Amino acid sequence: MTRKPIFLTSRRTVLKTGAAAAGMLAMPAILKAQDKPGEIIVRAWGGAWGDALREGVADPFTAATGINVRFDFTEDNEIKPKIWSAVDQGRVPPIHVNWDTTTNATISALRGVTVDLSDLSNLDGLLPLAKPAGLDGYPLVNTYAYVYVCAYRKEAFPDGPPKSWNVLIDPKFKGRIALYDDGIGFNPIAVLAGGGTLADIPDNMEPGYAFYRKVRDNNPLLGEDPDFTSWFQNGEIDVACTISVNAREAKQNGIDVEWTIPEEGCKVDTDGLWVPRGLPANEEHWAKEFVNFALSRDAQQKWCSLLGLPPVYPGLEPPADLVGDPAYPTTEADFARLISIPSPILVENQPIWFSRFNEIFQG
Amino acid sequence: MKNAFSKKLVLWSLVWFSVITLSLPTIIVVGASFTAGDIIQFPPEGFSLRWYQKLWELEGFKQALGRTVYVSVICTLLALPVGTLAAIALARYRFCFANLIQVYLMLPFTIPLVVSGISMMIFFGEIRILGKLWPVGVALCLINIPFMIWSVTASINALDPELENASYNCGAPPVQTFFSVTLPSVMPGIITGALLMFILAFNEFLVSLFLTDSRTVTLPVQIYNSIRSVITPDLAAVSVLYIIIALVAIWLLDRLVGLEIFLRSK
Amino acid sequence: MLLPGATRREFMKREQENRLPLSWKLLDGMERVVAFVWPSRFRHAVGWWFLLPALALVGILLIGLGYMVQYSLHELDISTYRLRADYSLANFATFLERPVYMRVLVRTLLASVIVTGVTMVLAFPYAYQLVRVRSAAMRKFLLIALFLPFFIGQVVRAYGWLIILGREGLVNGILGQFGIAPLNLLFNYPSVVFGLIQYMLPFAVLLIIPAVAAISEDVELASEGLGANWWATFRHVLLPMARPGLVGAGIVVFTLTMTDFAMPEIMGGGKNDFFASAIYDGFFQLSNPGLGAALSIILVVVGSVIVSGAFFLAGAASLKARGGG
Repeated sequence: MTRKPIFLTSRRTVLKTGAAAAGMLAMPAILKAQDKPGEIIVRAWGGAWGDALREGVADPFTAATGINVRFDFTEDNEIKPKIWSAVDQGRVPPIHVNWDTTTNATISALRGVTVDLSDLSNLDGLLPLAKPAGLDGYPLVNTYAYVYVCAYRKEAFPDGPPKSWNVLIDPKFKGRIALYDDGIGFNPIAVLAGGGTLADIPDNMEPGYAFYRKVRDNNPLLGEDPDFTSWFQNGEIDVACTISVNAREAKQNGIDVEWTIPEEGCKVDTDGLWVPRGLPANEEHWAKEFVNFALSRDAQQKWCSLLGLPPVYPGLEPPADLVGDPAYPTTEADFARLISIPSPILVENQPIWFSRFNEIFQG
Repeated sequence: MKNAFSKKLVLWSLVWFSVITLSLPTIIVVGASFTAGDIIQFPPEGFSLRWYQKLWELEGFKQALGRTVYVSVICTLLALPVGTLAAIALARYRFCFANLIQVYLMLPFTIPLVVSGISMMIFFGEIRILGKLWPVGVALCLINIPFMIWSVTASINALDPELENASYNCGAPPVQTFFSVTLPSVMPGIITGALLMFILAFNEFLVSLFLTDSRTVTLPVQIYNSIRSVITPDLAAVSVLYIIIALVAIWLLDRLVGLEIFLRSK
Repeated sequence: MLLPGATRREFMKREQENRLPLSWKLLDGMERVVAFVWPSRFRHAVGWWFLLPALALVGILLIGLGYMVQYSLHELDISTYRLRADYSLANFATFLERPVYMRVLVRTLLASVIVTGVTMVLAFPYAYQLVRVRSAAMRKFLLIALFLPFFIGQVVRAYGWLIILGREGLVNGILGQFGIAPLNLLFNYPSVVFGLIQYMLPFAVLLIIPAVAAISEDVELASEGLGANWWATFRHVLLPMARPGLVGAGIVVFTLTMTDFAMPEIMGGGKNDFFASAIYDGFFQLSNPGLGAALSIILVVVGSVIVSGAFFLAGAASLKARGGG
């Protein structure tokens, strides 16, 4: 009964403290504060993802600092070479903050185009998930976890949710299944569904490839996030492996979609934020402030509950519709059902998995 | 009579098949843009202009439209002299390695746009003009220049060189011959080509994607990026905008020079 | 009033010059400037001067290709995600080692052949009827039907097809009225080819029109007067005379199809990628510019060989023949 009012008060307090903290951080560098840039550019994913960042982080940041935030909806894979060539050529990169998958961010970090974020004040006390694996310091910071769930049309499953990923090779759903077009989110799962074990990853992916060949014979559609939404909308597919955010958004738009974690488990992964090198000092400062702001309690709460994803800020409540949902892992037991592949392994092997996936499905 | 009838039947069936194939997506998209629902569908769910309103309110839409016009104009203005001169040269003068030149001038088509986009991003970055808007216009001209050359060449091939010789024989010096005889004869090709260049630049998204950033984004890039995130009917509304611009352009062309100009060869 | 002969001629000449339109004077001026900066002994190079701007413009791509050649000769170092300094042919070896690339290349070329063939079969009658139809209203209608879809770009048109051919789209809705189960009309090879034909049709018609328009109707009448039926007239008179336009349009359609990216991406359902997608994946998905560049060079070489072949076979005619003139 008392939870709600307390939550509200604390939220308001945090907002004030947040603004004060932003002001304080700017204080030691009065010169920097004077050259406050008019805007900073954040690369973001569109749709529900971008709306959540706008409402949860960007707008409060503008309110606290007076700096406008412009979103750049260039695809994550396409911004990469743009930033890389800018850094290599000593030009100012086209964006200030990149919202990126941890694997892609790690690749950029390995390439040495990211700024170290270790001095951000809000890093203290975050869940260990925030720290990028296999890298020194914080060339990027993870902001939340997400799960590649098994999303399905309820109508097509009158006897309850699919129990196993074998549903993808069920001839009943021939031509009515979908995966990401590079197999992302499914590569390790395929190994398990194909009879392999976690120990097989990454050295023996053959069971996964064998499973892929069976999936291929079941004629799947391959696409990206927006494709899944439209395919579900248009009744093109019955079941898909996609991020829970997309399934939840489709459901909120009135489409009859549910999701589940089959017995083999689902892949859990993280997204992060990073700042490219080569920005003018004042812009770099405020780009880092943006990242810091995104890690504050209030921003994490709002942003991640809009996305429906577990934040790296500890102890926050899940949104009402996701309490107890396996796609919103919070406890040890939740994570035990999910499969997490360390990013160093992903960085090294994901390109190989992508090309093998491609080879099998373009056959 | 039978001969004429079978000719008519075959030709018109093919033409009508083409007309339907060409027009159907346009009609469907226009219809879908007036939907009151949240998704693109046909027949649309109810009637409303809400997606047009949303489009108009969309952040940066008007600036993006302005930039698109700007780069398309640069592309067209550059293509006019470059393409026309090249076409005249190819049709009127003999070159050693003529076939090699043809293959070279086809590079904009044989090099995939993805590759052209990346390599121009690197090159423009190297010479520090990346991030400005005018190089996008130059790039769009470059990747479409074969269209300009081809449409002018087609007109020149239709021009009898004896006309030019006659002009010389009557004492007209070369510049006069060029402006009074050659150029007017190839005008249909030049107009076709210029129109093509403008339209193609107005629609191009793949190369522009690499040469613009969020400060210089053009309309097709914005559309492409938004398609890839969520497909809402405002996309159909943008298409209707394109259709209106098309109709205006066609109408203008008809008023100024007459559409028939496309059908003349001399 | 009698003027000495020379003065009189002088006077008349001045009178005449005063009466000349301004544009003529301008033209004369330009003539003199051109003659001064460009003496007639340079005239033989005039073709090259005309060609120079285009050669320079396309030169930008040549510089770009230079980068690509450079990239393609270095292997990716996965620990730093930079290309190694030493030269190697590893990226080209990868192309040969992975059969998927050859498969995708063959699929791309096959589609280009089909699209070119069908597009020409549709485009020639369209261009012909446009030029020959008597009714001005019909002519205008055909022109507008040609230009309109042309203005709305490939991506949007592909989405129009998704609405029409989708599982719960227009066509399946109509079929459903007759009790026919929904068909899978989308996300397969034929749908990509169909989308591309629709996309290429306006290009082809516009490029063929001038060639058809150059053919005098009398030629057709003569042929028919000599007893040829319309089909024979088409085959033996019209098509050969329009050959420059047809070859040009064919080459344009072929190369644009071969390098197309958007249509297979949108209408192929992810399993009917063309070679441009493989290049894209190399650069962006695999973050391997070396491999992406190697694949680019392979496609450019294949495309250029085919284009040169087409020019070699038909080129002499397409360049030197004067169409119907």
